[in-house]
Amino acid sequence: MMENAKSAQLMQRAAAFGLGLLTILALLPSGCGNRAKPGTAEIRIGVILPMTGREAKPGQYQKEGIELAMQQINQKGGVFVRELDKKLPLREVFYDDGSDQARSAGLVERAMTSDNVVAVLGGYSTALGEAESVMPDRYQTPWITTGAAASTIFSRGYQWAFGTLSPTDLLGYTTAQFLGTLVDGGKLRKGLRVALALENTDHGVDYGNGIRKWIEEHPGYFQVVFSEKFDLGSPDFSGLLQKVKNVRADIFLADAHLQDYITMHRQYTQMGMYHQMLSYGARGPERDARKAMGDATNYIFAGIWWSKDLPYPQAKRFVEDYKTFTGREPDSWYPATAYDATRALGAAIEKAGSLNRTAIRDALRSTDLKDSLLPGQVLRFGKNGQVNTPFVIVQNKPDGKTDIIYPQDAATGQAIAPKPK
Amino acid sequence: MPAADVLNLLIAALLLAGLYAAMSVGMTIIYGVMKIVNLAHAGFMMLGAYFVLELHERLGMDPLIGVLFAFPVFFLGGMLVYWLLVRWIPMSDQPTLASLLLMFGLWLVLQNIGYLVWGNSDRAILTARTFRTVHLGPILIPYIRLVVFAAAASSLAVLELALRKTWFGMSVRALMQNQQAGRIVGIHVERTARRTFGLGTAFAGAAGGLLAMLYSFSPDFGRPFLLRSFVIIVLGGLESFSGVAVGALILALVETLSILVLPAGYQPAIAFGLLVLALVVLPGGVATLFQKRQRLA
Repeated sequence: MMENAKSAQLMQRAAAFGLGLLTILALLPSGCGNRAKPGTAEIRIGVILPMTGREAKPGQYQKEGIELAMQQINQKGGVFVRELDKKLPLREVFYDDGSDQARSAGLVERAMTSDNVVAVLGGYSTALGEAESVMPDRYQTPWITTGAAASTIFSRGYQWAFGTLSPTDLLGYTTAQFLGTLVDGGKLRKGLRVALALENTDHGVDYGNGIRKWIEEHPGYFQVVFSEKFDLGSPDFSGLLQKVKNVRADIFLADAHLQDYITMHRQYTQMGMYHQMLSYGARGPERDARKAMGDATNYIFAGIWWSKDLPYPQAKRFVEDYKTFTGREPDSWYPATAYDATRALGAAIEKAGSLNRTAIRDALRSTDLKDSLLPGQVLRFGKNGQVNTPFVIVQNKPDGKTDIIYPQDAATGQAIAPKPK
Repeated sequence: MPAADVLNLLIAALLLAGLYAAMSVGMTIIYGVMKIVNLAHAGFMMLGAYFVLELHERLGMDPLIGVLFAFPVFFLGGMLVYWLLVRWIPMSDQPTLASLLLMFGLWLVLQNIGYLVWGNSDRAILTARTFRTVHLGPILIPYIRLVVFAAAASSLAVLELALRKTWFGMSVRALMQNQQAGRIVGIHVERTARRTFGLGTAFAGAAGGLLAMLYSFSPDFGRPFLLRSFVIIVLGGLESFSGVAVGALILALVETLSILVLPAGYQPAIAFGLLVLALVVLPGGVATLFQKRQRLA
């Protein structure tokens, strides 16, 4: 009896030990964030973006930006890794998240734990970026979001999250600031009434907060008379627009994704609405939208992270390279922020001189990309991991033309204000 | 709010209801005869939108004529899908898991075919009438919505007539009431089911074409409309055509008018609140309300 009990106890201990060992073994690849193998002949970079679903179009543009940057780096022999004393090519490990938050987070986790990547790029849009953002610190792998700007992502004290989009509240702030310059320049009068329609996401909240912040800091310029949130991907905005119409505002500022911008502005035009100034946040000059609505998009202005018309030599070079790479010009900011994120990562790996994830993370913190495409021409991550480059304001003009109208030193045309009826 | 604005909203709701009814009737007819919840309905709507777009862009065809063409093409397409896939599902008087999974899978396949053929750009149909408006005193009606409503209402009227006056229509109504009894009185269930699936698909394709005149679309198009179709057919009582019209009107009115008192962000919650309410309080749809009243009288 005693021997039986003893052997059962031994068996239990052995089983527990075996189970523990298995658990440790199972956890090893995922738990140890700094185990990127230095002996490999390439540097694996995870890229998680939507190629299908509602965010597919921006996702495609961002992927193109990343791939162009990788191609250019690899054409020069790759990234020099001091520790190995050789150049290694970058290799993309790509997953399509289908515009689905849960899938997006799961794929980032997969890339970080199973694909032996040294860093992950991706996270368009804010909603998908939010879902992904919990993974980098958990798996101690640098993550650079190329398309999520909500300040909430960068206010949680994450140590492994970086972003190449300036915060959305700055977009709202710059939008109001630009409108303020129109008042100062006598194009708009003081005290105009502003109506806000914001998408029901952190992006929308930040945008609205930025606008309100500027208005509070500059009393007398504008007053917000209406502010309401709407659901992403709504098939009908007639009720919301009717409310906007009823408040008789002078300026209408919405924060919308591309699809919602098209749907909302079609209905806006069909309802015969007019405002002195009209913006859909960061949307406005996209080719799809202009094709879908023709002249109805004229004089809409947008605050964007990048414009192909920026008067920087590197921006012009990028436009040419992108055209050669994809067969068309970039019609939006999407590929530029992704392109610079990839270059910043390459620079950080070189600076780290190692494929150690912690070393790369530390190098990213002090990276200073001096020939950046972004406004201001310098890409530097802030203490919270997010860049803080200025926005440019563009305005659609007739015949498919788009001009940079703010800031003045980058302007390619004058702002038309108020918008012709 | 001024009376003219309220009237504007009521008209907007009515026009929306016409569209909602046209996009839901295809699902209702298929559910009624075959007890299949056609999740691929959104996929057929998406294909209908691209079909009309292609005719418009390649042949310069008016989108409304394109919608007319969509009816026979999608009718045949629906019958082909039935013959290839649906007929293998055992007939049942209750929705089955197999049919749900099959139609969900088909939706995903159609969506991915859409991505392969047309890519992921947001497309839209822009014609001279897209931004025209009709002014009736203080009331302003988008011309294109009026056109889409007229097209939707006419197609529903033709369907109603066909269901009442043709042998096929009577077979459909009989099978919706009782499949076994229909079989006993000599209805060819298999053939009627095949044509019904074709008809439901034809309505989905045509509704997609109509929606394409109002909204931008991509291969992911149809999802929010599919969810609204569920609400409408549950409100309508699952198997009733007049119920679909009433359900569509209720949903459109509630969605449009509730925005006056609630933030727009609550719009989806309103639709699904209505669905839950209908399932709990009126599981037989709004028709049961009238039946109860008749019984009480």
